[in-house]
Amino acid sequence: MILRQFLSLRKAGVLGMNRRNRQYIMGYNRRSGFPLVDDKLLTKQLSLKHGIPTPPLYHVVSHHGDIAGFDRALADRQEFVLKPARGGGGSGILLITDRRDGKFVTQSGKIISREEIRYHISDILSGIYSLEGLEDKAIIEGLIHPDQVFGNVTYEGVPDVRIIVYRGIPAMAMVRLPTRQSDGKANLHRGAVGVGIDIGRGKTMDGVRRSGAITHHPDTGELLRDIGVPFWEKMLLIAAQSTEMTGLGYLGADLVIDKNDGPLLLELNARPGLQIQIANRKGLLERLEMIDRAPDEIFVSPEKRIAWATQSFAEPSS
Amino acid sequence: MKRPALWLAVFFFLIPLSLIGYRVLRLGYPLLPTSPVKAWGLTMEIFFEPAGGNGKEIEIRAGLPESRSGQTVIEQRDLSGTLQFNIMPEGLNQIGVWSGEPEGRVLSYRATVLLNPKRLRKPKPPGPESFPAIIADKSEQILAKRLIERYASLKAPEKLKTIAATAKGIWEEPPPDDNDLKQWSAIQKKYGAEGALLILLRLADFPVRKVQGFVLAESVATQPDRWIAVWTGQKWEHIQPETGDFYSESVCLLPLMIGDTPLVRISGGKLQEVRWDLGKQTLSQWRAHFERIYRSGRFLDRWSLFAIPNQFQEIFRILLLVPIGVLMISVLRNIVGFPTFGIFMPVLMALAFRSTGLSYGLGIFAGVVLIGYLLRRGIDRLHLLLVPRLSFLITFVILAFTVFALIGSKFGVREFMAIGLLPFVILSMTIERFFILIEESGAFQALRTAAGSAAVAAITYKIIQIDPLQLTFFVYPELLFAIMGLLLLLGNYSGYRLSEILRFKVLGEKS
Repeated sequence: MILRQFLSLRKAGVLGMNRRNRQYIMGYNRRSGFPLVDDKLLTKQLSLKHGIPTPPLYHVVSHHGDIAGFDRALADRQEFVLKPARGGGGSGILLITDRRDGKFVTQSGKIISREEIRYHISDILSGIYSLEGLEDKAIIEGLIHPDQVFGNVTYEGVPDVRIIVYRGIPAMAMVRLPTRQSDGKANLHRGAVGVGIDIGRGKTMDGVRRSGAITHHPDTGELLRDIGVPFWEKMLLIAAQSTEMTGLGYLGADLVIDKNDGPLLLELNARPGLQIQIANRKGLLERLEMIDRAPDEIFVSPEKRIAWATQSFAEPSS
Repeated sequence: MKRPALWLAVFFFLIPLSLIGYRVLRLGYPLLPTSPVKAWGLTMEIFFEPAGGNGKEIEIRAGLPESRSGQTVIEQRDLSGTLQFNIMPEGLNQIGVWSGEPEGRVLSYRATVLLNPKRLRKPKPPGPESFPAIIADKSEQILAKRLIERYASLKAPEKLKTIAATAKGIWEEPPPDDNDLKQWSAIQKKYGAEGALLILLRLADFPVRKVQGFVLAESVATQPDRWIAVWTGQKWEHIQPETGDFYSESVCLLPLMIGDTPLVRISGGKLQEVRWDLGKQTLSQWRAHFERIYRSGRFLDRWSLFAIPNQFQEIFRILLLVPIGVLMISVLRNIVGFPTFGIFMPVLMALAFRSTGLSYGLGIFAGVVLIGYLLRRGIDRLHLLLVPRLSFLITFVILAFTVFALIGSKFGVREFMAIGLLPFVILSMTIERFFILIEESGAFQALRTAAGSAAVAAITYKIIQIDPLQLTFFVYPELLFAIMGLLLLLGNYSGYRLSEILRFKVLGEKS
């Protein structure tokens, strides 16, 4: 009975946690490459070197003694994002959209004092949000103004696009849409909606929330399907290049589309989650195995890899 | 599966297999640790007052149990350790001798005696010690002889029964005349029931022994039981001297001293009190093998955990449980897919449950985390730095333990007092993680993880509590290699987790 269930998962090409860890993460991601993606500051510097666009960096706080300096560094910027360099799962991120009477207004409209920001930075430096509880740095960078393409299916916050890249080839993609429940954050485990993207055509498909399938956004009520993602080719290219950039063979690239700057690389993940399979109604293992069977010559350049992926992974048009 | 890991695992399985095979086949170890055996624990405490001032030596001699037909002494220890302790034979007896300058005023000694009725040997016939001198004077002897000569024609067992019955004043037909009986009751008063009976038995040519010891029953005594052992030609019969009744075969007697010598003697001081405490024990067969293993000269017997001192053995009993626990965690996390707080937290919880019990342990755990969570919420707005904040929580946990212990002592709940062994650092971290998980992923996710941790801790606890399993690892520590082998195999598992059947149900159904 259990064996039959396992077999049906295998037949559907579902990738399980154990295989992801053993075969793909341990098999293709060398340990020394992890810090490059675990530390967002390093990722940002690396991206700059490779000409990959990221949100602009304003300031970095590395020591408790420097906390007071953040004010000066900000000068009179009205909006910014404060986040831990090594945070995981979207924790510890503060979005500031305005200033009022020497205080700060967060994206959700809450007004917080300068004192509270200092406390938050101090928390970040102590490593409370960092993956291993190590000392951390606080990054202050530019606020993203999301392109309105997902405006109708987003409740506050910034939607982001996750692309799984295996051996430099985009294997699966989804867009994560914030909901009221996820508090404007684009994290699936907080209740954001995940919507699969057809790699071939750059168009959205049906969505998933928690583990239930949905077709409309729970807060706005708009249809999730058939939204064309702008700059799709360019986003695929950025994702594909991340492999050359980090040397990691299996990763998740998180991108956002800024109204003014176009697609930006937000962060990379060396242990991307498996929920993307549910958003796509498709097993990831099947695609990873297809990539392993791909001819050698397509691996020479990111452009060739994308071409192969868009052709191989296009959904049959319905 | 990759080959090297498989071969390594096979190698790791072969090591314990060959070692255990050797132990079982060549050294005669039991293969299965089942079938507990009955044993009696005897604790003797001697309270004394040394005579002179400091520096005066004293010597205490006491009769101790001995391995004999139907009983084996598998363990005996001097628990006080301030005096020199030796065991030496003295006549038919095994005597414990404590000597030296006493530091305290009390000695204690403990023995475990295994009753094994299957191992009855043919009883040894009496030696010269069983023909003690007759204490009565000439005229009294003539009277006694006259009283029993009417029974001379009876066979030994019947004769013994008839004579024993006289202790209760029952004289079989034909009864002696009243005058003789009157004189005899004077003699009974003079020498006591036991003395009078001994006179009759000796004059009837029965070999007899006076025995001091205990009738085995759960009890505490300050005086030993006394009985008379009489040889009937085939076996020893045991008679209660006051009543002349026979102890039946089913009664277990533990003789400590044969003869008239007092059971406990002291020179250079005064005895205050002696207390014997008898209690039943259930031992596993391994323990019964302890003595044999301990005395053996074989290499693997010598290099056994049984050879290290008792207090360190206890530590290893617990240490050897940890690998079983972490194996369980690996299975439950990687094959079943339980979510838990921290990786090894449930193992530590399971070990702690050993002293509190499962339900109390889980209850206390839930209580401390819940109150801790409320406290953590309360101090959140104070904006404390990380390290002082965690230290604050640890201090709170210790405080909660203290309160629990005080409540436990007030109401006599031992489990509340055993709480101190709960891993407090882990508990504090759990509170912090629980708080953060609720903030970040909602109460549902946090409760799910908490339930997962509790379930894993409970399952692990149930497994490490299996006594035979514990003892098997203690006797065969080489089984740790087998665990390493199993972990190598588990680490190679790339298949699905049971929880993923549910998680990816939608995908599986589609195909």
